[in-house]
Amino acid sequence: MSTRITTGMLSARVLDDLNRVSERLTKTQTKLASGKEIERPSDDPFGASRAMVLRENLEGVRQYQRNVEDARGWQDAAESALARISDVVQRARDLLVQGAADTMDETARASIAREIDELTASVKEFGNASYKGQFVFGGVRTDAPPWPSTTDVHQGQAGTVARQVGPGVSVQVNVDIAGVLGDGQASGDGGLLHVLRDIATHLRANDGESLRGTDLTRLDDKLDQILDVRALNGARSNRLESALGRLSELEEASIAQLSQTEDVDIAKAMIDFSSQQAAYQAALKAGANIVQASLMDFLR
Amino acid sequence: MPISSFYGLQTSLRGLLAQQRALDVAGHNVANASTAGFSRQEAVMAASPAYVVPASTGTGAGAHLGSGVDVLQYRRVRDQFLDLQFRAQNTRLGYESTRAEQLDRAEVSLAEPSDSGIASQLAAFWDAWSDVANAPQDMAARTALTEQGATLGESFATVINQLKIVADQASEEYARLAGAGGEVELIAREITSLNDTIAKFVSAGDSPNDLHDRRDLLVDQLSKLGRVSVQPTTDGMVEITFGDAAQPIVSDRTMTWPQALTDPDGRLGALRDIFKPGGTVEQYRDALDGVALSVMDAVNGLHTSAGGPPFFTATAGDEAGTLTVAVAPSGVRTGATGFAGDNGLALQIAALRGNAAVDGSYRSFVARVGTEVRQARTQEANADALATAVDNRRQSVSGVSLDEEMANIIRFQRGYQASSRAMSTMDEMLDVLINRTGRVGL
Repeated sequence: MSTRITTGMLSARVLDDLNRVSERLTKTQTKLASGKEIERPSDDPFGASRAMVLRENLEGVRQYQRNVEDARGWQDAAESALARISDVVQRARDLLVQGAADTMDETARASIAREIDELTASVKEFGNASYKGQFVFGGVRTDAPPWPSTTDVHQGQAGTVARQVGPGVSVQVNVDIAGVLGDGQASGDGGLLHVLRDIATHLRANDGESLRGTDLTRLDDKLDQILDVRALNGARSNRLESALGRLSELEEASIAQLSQTEDVDIAKAMIDFSSQQAAYQAALKAGANIVQASLMDFLR
Repeated sequence: MPISSFYGLQTSLRGLLAQQRALDVAGHNVANASTAGFSRQEAVMAASPAYVVPASTGTGAGAHLGSGVDVLQYRRVRDQFLDLQFRAQNTRLGYESTRAEQLDRAEVSLAEPSDSGIASQLAAFWDAWSDVANAPQDMAARTALTEQGATLGESFATVINQLKIVADQASEEYARLAGAGGEVELIAREITSLNDTIAKFVSAGDSPNDLHDRRDLLVDQLSKLGRVSVQPTTDGMVEITFGDAAQPIVSDRTMTWPQALTDPDGRLGALRDIFKPGGTVEQYRDALDGVALSVMDAVNGLHTSAGGPPFFTATAGDEAGTLTVAVAPSGVRTGATGFAGDNGLALQIAALRGNAAVDGSYRSFVARVGTEVRQARTQEANADALATAVDNRRQSVSGVSLDEEMANIIRFQRGYQASSRAMSTMDEMLDVLINRTGRVGL
């Protein structure tokens, strides 16, 4: 039996088809307007979940980049303090050589000793260098100056301060100079502060023998140790530099992947849009013609 | 026995009347071409009982002389089997379209993907921990962290509230449809009174076609709300069971409603599945509670292992709705040693970012909701296509085709014209007989 097509069916079908085509058209239009392939998780559940992972990765990478910037700021602060300490020690060495000369009399040595005292104070000051309110040489005790003016004893607490620079990758940012600077003359630990205090004492005591002998070699040792610490800090800086490069590559890759997953392929969407528009117009035309004509037009 | 001279007039008159009735029916059909639920009718004509010419007379002995036509009945063209099929599909369509619509609302309440959804708040929370790791003694960073923790808790609570609204509105709509004075009751009441009217006509031997149409349309409407089954009883009345109600909702002239339903199917069933205990919204809330609990456990586990107080607190069983930060900015632990610069713990917590048990569990929840919405839409499209197909077949049988009615109108008009021509011919014949016969030579 052939299907009997009734007037109601015809118009319902025309309406149904128009609805379907215009629904598709609206969807494509929304996509084009928003530029997003995935507006809701249900548009593509797998894609949406993938986009969430990528978005989170991207967010993470950007945070790691901020962490690296922060770590570099810390290391720059440490490096510049260490450079200044080197300069101070160099100046102290010059004074020591000058003061150790046999031609120097007691008063001249006393005035050099005063200058050494000043230099010692500035070593402690640079030892108290801080970055964003955190004392960089205090170990994990970053909230108090490691070498307060009242004592030469190191007040810091040995420990690691690290920054997360990648998923599961941390880089230690602090260097330990407590051993190099030491706890002052009273401790007798041979640290830089101890050496500088000894030099001042020997100058005041007019002890040219000690000045020429052990003091000079001890000071040179300290200078070498400071250079070692600076080398370590520099090596870590390089590590951060390469981490930053890797992170920006990662960022670009994540952005590209996210765009691939989430963003509309404009060319494809435009082609879809125009073919759907053509289909809509055709459906309109066909509908207008089919519903208009009836047997009545042909009966007199 | 001779045949009356006026016999033919009667035959033509029957023809005239029958064609007129048929034209009336065509007119009725055309008038109702766009009436919902209308079934086309047709006047069923049959030759009226023949006049048996007695054998004893000369011509045409023993013949049956046709006496014209009668309209036997006005038939309602309807296929009851297609009605059954349509109602079954309509119930399914009611269920699937309501489910798709409700799940759609639940999906919208997640607000994913967006910058205000839980996923981005979670990412911002890990960022805040990273910032605290960068500056453990900075009170501003700590404050930002506890604020972000609170914001995360709020975004969980927002989604939970939105889901609750979805469930509440579904429940309200269910009550409005199925409760006293609701749509179900209005339909049932009208069917009951139609049963009464139909029974009066049917017991008098009539066939109230248009009342049957109206009743079938009401049953169609009812089938969208829930499963229906229709049993004919006496005098053209029906008994209707609805959903899994214990009593028939309509039995002849009595209505039994409201009744308790547990699995009514149709629109009511879909609404029930959303808000009932253990229903979709509750499952989603449980899943979100699980996510919130995993965030809380992961962060608290590390925070307390370093000797700190719990970072988050929440009511058991409603973790997502009540997740709040339990520490002041100064109480946030960043390391096990308690020294200001120790950021080991903050680093560990920040490293939870992307963790399968935390971020992953939320991601799979979103993917699950997305998949369910997508499935519901596909099911809706399927049900819609099936219901449309069955309705088309039904329309193909019962619908009014204007072209067909036009053709019929021409046919009946011609029949009427021809019958009246036969009558005029008969009239002219009688004119000759009555007025001219016997007047030769006058």
